Amino acid sequence: MTTTSTKHPSVPRTGWGLLRQALVEQRWGLLVGMIAALTWMAGRVAVPRLIQLAIDRGIEGDDPLVPWSIAVAVAGAVSGVSLGLRRYLAFRNARVIEARYRDRLFAHIQRLHIAYHDVTATGELMSRANTDLNQFQNIFTQIPITSGNFLIVIASVIIMITIHPTLALCALVGLPAINVLGKRFAQTLHPAVLRAQQESAQLAGVVEQTVSGIRVVKGFGSEHLQAEKLDVEADDVFDASIESSRIRARYLPAIELLPNLGLVAVLAYGGHLVIDGDLTVGELVGFNLYVLMLIQPLRMLGQVVAQGQRAASAGDRIAEVLSTDPLILDPAHPQPLPHRSGGGTVEFRGVEFGYHGGDVPVLHRFDLRVDAGESVALVGITGCGKTTVARLLPRFYDVDAGAVMLDGIDVRQLRLQDLRKAVSLVFEETFLFSGSIRDNLAFADPLADDAVIRRAAQLAGAADFVEALPDGYDTVIGERGFSLSGGQRQRLSIARAIVADPRVLILDDATSAVDPTKEHEIRDAMAEVMGGRTTIVIAHRPATIALADRVVLLDEGRIVAEGTHSELLTSNRRYQEVLASVEPVAEDA
Amino acid sequence: MAGWMQGGVSADERLDLDGTKTVLRRSMEYLGPYRRRAAQSFLLLVLWTGTTIAGPLLVRRAIDDGIRPRDSDQLTIAVVGYLLAAALGYVFYRASIVTLAWVGENFLRDLRRSVFAKLLDQSLAFYDRSKAGVLISRMTSDVDSLSELFQYGLLMFTAALLQLVGTIVVLSLLSWQLMLVCLVVVPVVAIASIKFQRDSNKAYLAVRDHIGSTLSALQEGISGVRLVQAFGREDLQASQFAATNQGLYRSHMNSVKVAAWYLPIIEFAATATTALTIGVGGYLAHQGTLSIGTVIAFILLLQGLFEPVQQLSQLFNLVQSATASLDKLYGVLDEPVDLVEPDAPSTFPASGAIVVSNLSFAYAGSDELVLRGVDLTIADGERVALVGPTGAGKSTLAKLIARLYDPTDGSISFGGVDLRDGSVAELRRRVLVVPQEGYLFDGTIADNIRIAAPGTSDAEVQAALERIGVWERFATLPEGLATEVQERGSRLSAGERQLVSLARAALADPAVLVLDEATSSLDPGTERVVEAALEHLMSGRTVIAIAHRLTTAARCDRVAVVAEGGIAELGPHDELIARGGRYAALFGAWSSGLGVGADPASASD
Repeated sequence: MTTTSTKHPSVPRTGWGLLRQALVEQRWGLLVGMIAALTWMAGRVAVPRLIQLAIDRGIEGDDPLVPWSIAVAVAGAVSGVSLGLRRYLAFRNARVIEARYRDRLFAHIQRLHIAYHDVTATGELMSRANTDLNQFQNIFTQIPITSGNFLIVIASVIIMITIHPTLALCALVGLPAINVLGKRFAQTLHPAVLRAQQESAQLAGVVEQTVSGIRVVKGFGSEHLQAEKLDVEADDVFDASIESSRIRARYLPAIELLPNLGLVAVLAYGGHLVIDGDLTVGELVGFNLYVLMLIQPLRMLGQVVAQGQRAASAGDRIAEVLSTDPLILDPAHPQPLPHRSGGGTVEFRGVEFGYHGGDVPVLHRFDLRVDAGESVALVGITGCGKTTVARLLPRFYDVDAGAVMLDGIDVRQLRLQDLRKAVSLVFEETFLFSGSIRDNLAFADPLADDAVIRRAAQLAGAADFVEALPDGYDTVIGERGFSLSGGQRQRLSIARAIVADPRVLILDDATSAVDPTKEHEIRDAMAEVMGGRTTIVIAHRPATIALADRVVLLDEGRIVAEGTHSELLTSNRRYQEVLASVEPVAEDA
Repeated sequence: MAGWMQGGVSADERLDLDGTKTVLRRSMEYLGPYRRRAAQSFLLLVLWTGTTIAGPLLVRRAIDDGIRPRDSDQLTIAVVGYLLAAALGYVFYRASIVTLAWVGENFLRDLRRSVFAKLLDQSLAFYDRSKAGVLISRMTSDVDSLSELFQYGLLMFTAALLQLVGTIVVLSLLSWQLMLVCLVVVPVVAIASIKFQRDSNKAYLAVRDHIGSTLSALQEGISGVRLVQAFGREDLQASQFAATNQGLYRSHMNSVKVAAWYLPIIEFAATATTALTIGVGGYLAHQGTLSIGTVIAFILLLQGLFEPVQQLSQLFNLVQSATASLDKLYGVLDEPVDLVEPDAPSTFPASGAIVVSNLSFAYAGSDELVLRGVDLTIADGERVALVGPTGAGKSTLAKLIARLYDPTDGSISFGGVDLRDGSVAELRRRVLVVPQEGYLFDGTIADNIRIAAPGTSDAEVQAALERIGVWERFATLPEGLATEVQERGSRLSAGERQLVSLARAALADPAVLVLDEATSSLDPGTERVVEAALEHLMSGRTVIAIAHRLTTAARCDRVAVVAEGGIAELGPHDELIARGGRYAALFGAWSSGLGVGADPASASD
């Protein structure tokens, strides 16, 4: 029932469109749910009528009692069983839809271009697949439930009118107000509850910040400042909670009072009708029971409109993500990459590029050729464009003009799978997934065997600390697992790229957190990784830069100098400045 | 029907009877000033329950005394009585909601404040041995589960309990024979309710776990999207996520099944007892043992009997988890504070020498001494660098000097006063620990700097920034000092964060600066700015620097090499280098790690 495919004939662009699509896809489940709701309604409505007849004919009259007892019990059994079924089916439909759309959202988000992710906060996408989806699915539980409730109201009203129209009018006159009050209650309470939740979230923020920053708080002795902040938040939470209690106090007793007034009316008018012989005692009781039975359905019918509106606007937000098309796509007629051996030539030809569609220009007429097997270090201050160069090669972005070529083919002419298999990028900010170290290293190649993984770990200088862990490569890392130092994480991410065995390896400041006193340990290994592989290194540290065959100095999106590390160091003033105060830290010496 | 699953509690959190009693007794104490209002709200609930039970009894009276004997006056009396009951019910219900909410929210506000105040009172040692996540969850999820209880749970629970007990009592009084017959369903309902309560608790916990793992898988997938695309893993990632998501779906369905089994049983129990009442009650009415009005009142009361049963078994889990939360919160309040102030604290001089004598220290709960018999005297205005391997105790020594912990043995004094004899607040104004990678709180840059001295004006903040020569750097931001630090797009760089931390210290203006040097490297330009700011900040103060960069150590008056819980070497940089000991070796290894010398002109490789 879940699907990972994102290929849909047409993705709705609005919440209502999405609701319609979900309804169509889940039509059979919804139909069966409606049938259960119908059966429930029939059993439920029959019970008061049967009680009425049992009183009039069995208790007041001379009919045998047992058949009436059995009839009531059977009707109760029917309504009971179908109530369970209705509930199960209603929730099943909603959860199926929820799971289906969450899968679709996730798969779609994974494929959306990086430029989209650059401007979209993680939390925003999280709430699409979490809170919005929850509001969206909720309306589908209401479909069988609401139709059951609606039918109960109709059927009960008809039965009451057939028994005695004037008494029915008298009993029912106040009841529509339950519907109205129920609706207004839901509409007023919802924002108040949301406000209370927001206030609690703010209070949680103060607590979280205080605990995380406790060293600063204690260091400056500013405990009272934090306590004051909390007092303010606690007062806000208090006010918001009291406000929602006031709303409850305003509506709930009124909603309770209305049917009671109906019951009083039934007793007063109906009682006189019985005395005058125009109504039976059983019918009076039946009226009483119908009024009681109508309370819940009427209340819920009032709420469902508000729920529908919320589901539609949540749907709008979900549809917006799903209908955003990924911009970086496979070409219609992809070209194959030439054979691996001797491959790995990278060329930037007259590249123009700026972020946000060229609004923030970064590279201007940028030319760079890196021969197969060559290693090049890109050096420059923050914002000079070196990271951008690294990201254009695996097509995280497409160039505005010019071309990026791999082995003589424009990267836009290659299948993304082929391109990204050929080019591995190691980021400065390491990202490791929760899971074992082995799973993380085998990320590029889930079928990689132990020997490959161990060798990659050795090359990246990670084998020693990994093998010293109690569970070795099976150690679970991440949020709930073992926590590693920044340097250790960087070494693992280098190892991960080595497992991928790309023809071009890009190291974007990938050793910045590796302890400088230990960097020499992996320097030989790095040299081995670079050997026979095209490598582009972005680094600050001279020791790392010196490993490259050639150094390219960038400034404001252009190449300003080229040469070996020692050539530039002796001849280029700007190069000296850039490297000048890079000073490593000493720890664990 | 909303909120079918109402909280849950895992087996190891669930309190036994004694534990529950203790929690209830503590809560009664905490209710203190609100006890009268609490009693009032309980009374209101009892009265409200009374009015709901009165309805069917008045119907009985109307039928037996008014309708059947054709006595209009008696009917009118019953109708007026019913009207009165309905009106009173409205008043009592409304008043009980307001009163109970007032009591509950006041209780919660007091609890939030006192738990937070307690957390703030605790020493850093407490924070070292507690997990931050656990402490935060005390003030968030634990208090939230109480808040849910006070918002609607407690009222519903108490009302349902009163309604159940009240109805059973009235039913027994109306006709014990009919009551006996109806008892037939009790075992079924009881077993189903207990089973439901247990299963729904389990199902709730399972759903909660699955929601947690689905959300973290979701989050990983989104924040790791660059990596996923870089390695072309989109499909694999999506199918892995689908498996996790499927687990959540199954746990949801499982919890739906639990309710789908239970509901029909309760629904059927209501009609089954009604059916029995019709049969047996009708027979007794024919016999003349019962009036018809009584049978009818019985039927009407039965309609309201099973709703409370269902509510109680739903709410039971919520009440249990709230009790468990209360127990944990009282646990926080009971935790002793380990950094105590003397009753009559001595005054620290404005400045003075720091004397560490025969200092030994072990972290709480550990027998292993981190520091053993350390002696060190730091003169007023002197700069001392602490260097050494991680875990050797240099940070611990620095924190002891700032009295973030108390020594296990030996003593530390500032200006001749033992740290334990003075007030902590005063000491904090003299001796300041500055983590160079400063933590930022929500708010503006100015707010963040002001943490060091609450109540200072923007001009004073500006002056502090000027003193360390970085005012320009912040003044040129589009919104200057009013820039929000956490807002998207205006996040401060690592270098700017360090400058904020230094500015705080400048504003606090302490006599002694304990500097915890940053370990991460900055880009060259920023690094120079930070260095310059640091130099401004240190001038005219006693400085104890936990140095990671050995150039920092070289700039200090003396270097102390902390190793194996003691001070292995102590003296000026040049002297130690000349001595050729540990420090010299350390310095040698570090210089070779540079690849090139500090001065680029001297590089030759």
